[in-house]
Amino acid sequence: MADETQAPEIASMWNPGRETVHADLEAAEPEVLMEPMIWGLFSLGGFITAFLFPVTLFLLFFAAPLGLWPTDPGAFDAFAARWADPIVRLFFVVLIGGSLFHGTHRLKFMLVDAGAKSPGVQGFLDVVLNGLAILGTLGALFYALSGWLF
Amino acid sequence: MTARPYPWKRPRGWWLRNPRYLSFQLREAGGVVSALYGLILLNMLLQLRAGESAYTAFLDTMRTPPMLYVNLVLFGLVVFHAVSWFMLIGKAQPIRFTEKPIPWKSAFAVNLVLWLGVSGAVVYLIFGGL
Repeated sequence: MADETQAPEIASMWNPGRETVHADLEAAEPEVLMEPMIWGLFSLGGFITAFLFPVTLFLLFFAAPLGLWPTDPGAFDAFAARWADPIVRLFFVVLIGGSLFHGTHRLKFMLVDAGAKSPGVQGFLDVVLNGLAILGTLGALFYALSGWLF
Repeated sequence: MTARPYPWKRPRGWWLRNPRYLSFQLREAGGVVSALYGLILLNMLLQLRAGESAYTAFLDTMRTPPMLYVNLVLFGLVVFHAVSWFMLIGKAQPIRFTEKPIPWKSAFAVNLVLWLGVSGAVVYLIFGGL
């Protein structure tokens, strides 16, 4: 009858699947940072867009021309007066930034679904669409701060 | 013998074959339209900074009948996006305050009430009320 037990020194010599893992291994997988951040901004933008966009667009572009509101909140005098309030400026920065991060991310995956699947094209779309969202948000921030802080 | 890959291909017009797929695509389109409106609002701030005549010309263009009709269609997509977003919140990420997840219809109802409240707050805090 063969001896199925092994001496401790032999067992430690050949033990597949149980190699020691070092936490400071240089060849470790790079940490994924950008993708969850972009998805997080997409989700946040979805909430911002869903809660804030319908009422804002209605008041600015539809309420007065369709005769559905007693005043015209989009008219120059009314809107310029409201724009003096920092909360209104912050509101539009959040609204524009949120909608851009949400919509550009959706557009990317619509284009991927339509056939833009190669890594090169996806990388290009990432640069262009995320760049648009970042620049648009910075542009809104600039308009919000100009005439108030500088 | 090598294994042959079988890449799954989505057939053309797949989103027209099922009302759920159509609803998904309409929500996607509504999301993209919201980015378009983000750019339009950015342009509105640019015209506001340029002065009254530039701002009024922008607003008049947005309110001409052809633009108004286009805007109404796009606005419909934005509203569809909002409502369907509220519907999917309780499904995509079930909320668990209790032992069992809250039914998605309850989460949807809570979101609708919140939406009304937030819209009222926007009317008063951002646009100065009626």
